[in-house]
Amino acid sequence: MGAIDIGIGGLAAAYALLILPCAVILWLRIPMLGQSALAIARMTVQLLFVGFYLEFIFKLNNFWLNAAWVLAMIVVAEFSIVRGCELRLKPFLGPLFLALMTGTAIPLLYFLGPVLHRPGLLDAQYAIPICGMILGNCLRADIVGVRTFFTGLRKGEAEFQLALSQGATLQEALRPHLRDACQAALTPTVATIATIGLVSLPGMMTGVILGGSSPMTAIQYQLAIMIAIFSGTALTVAAALLLSLPQAFTPYGVLNRTVLKK
Amino acid sequence: MMPSALDIDGLAISFNGKSLLRDFSLTVGHGEHVALNGPSGCGKTTLLRCVLGFATPDAGAIRVDGEALDARTVWELRQRIAYVPQSPEFGDGTVEEVLHRPFAYKANAALAANVSRAPELLKRLRLPDDAMSKQTGDLSGGEKQRLALVVALLLERKMLLLDEPTAALDGEAKAAALELLREQSDMAILSVSHDEALRKTAARVVNISTPKEP
Repeated sequence: MGAIDIGIGGLAAAYALLILPCAVILWLRIPMLGQSALAIARMTVQLLFVGFYLEFIFKLNNFWLNAAWVLAMIVVAEFSIVRGCELRLKPFLGPLFLALMTGTAIPLLYFLGPVLHRPGLLDAQYAIPICGMILGNCLRADIVGVRTFFTGLRKGEAEFQLALSQGATLQEALRPHLRDACQAALTPTVATIATIGLVSLPGMMTGVILGGSSPMTAIQYQLAIMIAIFSGTALTVAAALLLSLPQAFTPYGVLNRTVLKK
Repeated sequence: MMPSALDIDGLAISFNGKSLLRDFSLTVGHGEHVALNGPSGCGKTTLLRCVLGFATPDAGAIRVDGEALDARTVWELRQRIAYVPQSPEFGDGTVEEVLHRPFAYKANAALAANVSRAPELLKRLRLPDDAMSKQTGDLSGGEKQRLALVVALLLERKMLLLDEPTAALDGEAKAAALELLREQSDMAILSVSHDEALRKTAARVVNISTPKEP
């Protein structure tokens, strides 16, 4: 038994529900009607495009095509991080790509291999959605982590330089900033893990139940994906910060402000 | 011949496109205290920052113990210098944590026992008895300066860079700080100060003026 096909009529009914948020926005004169409309339009176009494309690649289930799709997702995520953290693109292109790749590929391959025992290395039906979930969380974690790191460092540059003047190595002087950045990046994931199932039913679990599986099967998937997400976010944030250090600091250990947009 | 503790040769410094120092040379001998005097904004603080490698001069050379300061040597040379900034920032933590922090760095691990001298130094600098348990955020500017001076002395460096170290100190605390500095006869000290009393403790005063625009 699969999920019920919503169909065009059902989808139209779903869009009709937009009357409610639009009414609230108009009633309170919140200046975000255009922004909301644009977001809905973007979501529709993006998901339709992804839907058509996934139908196509699920049918072909070709390793290289799947790998190309995963790579494309990582590159798009990378641009979002650079924009979200107000960094110059060129110096961070390599480090952030490697960080996202590490944070996504390791838990993904582990999930597909030892957890799900899929015979193909990148089986489209499993690899693409699971990669999307891990990567989405890695993206958010990297934005929070990298942003917290540079904001904290600019605010605490005097303290950082005092540590250097006291004989600290770059890693030693940066340790409090790296710790704060990683903590800020991981806190939302830890909070989600702690309240999962109590506050909301998570997306993957809902999807598996709607797909016709038993709630216990859905829970097993959810547990495994949450652990994969936690592992991926921890890996990607640590990698993003550590790999960015050579670009962000001069050989004298001074913050290279030319790599920051602000 | 033994090299000078600090040798600055033909230094040129600019900040935001404005020339601050041009062809500036200075030698500080071992155990000598040299005070830099000059108007605000003439580049005195930037000069200290250049010695620490935090600012890059436009021209000239800096040698510490005869060793040229560059990107390769700066990490080791910083381990011979102690620095007291004008407005020290220690981040979060208590005074006790701040005193222990530098000794957690690999370079200072062998000096960890020096922290036991901290209470005596804090007392000499007229810091209150309960200072150790105070949060750094609750310290006044003068208390922070004295704490930075205590940490600098505990690190037992060969050279001490002081940026207006008495600017926020009252009469009694200032006298205590000056007395402590006078006792550091084996340390090369380069200080920047508008304070006449501090300059009097120096063996030599070097006047800096802003170069005239061509």
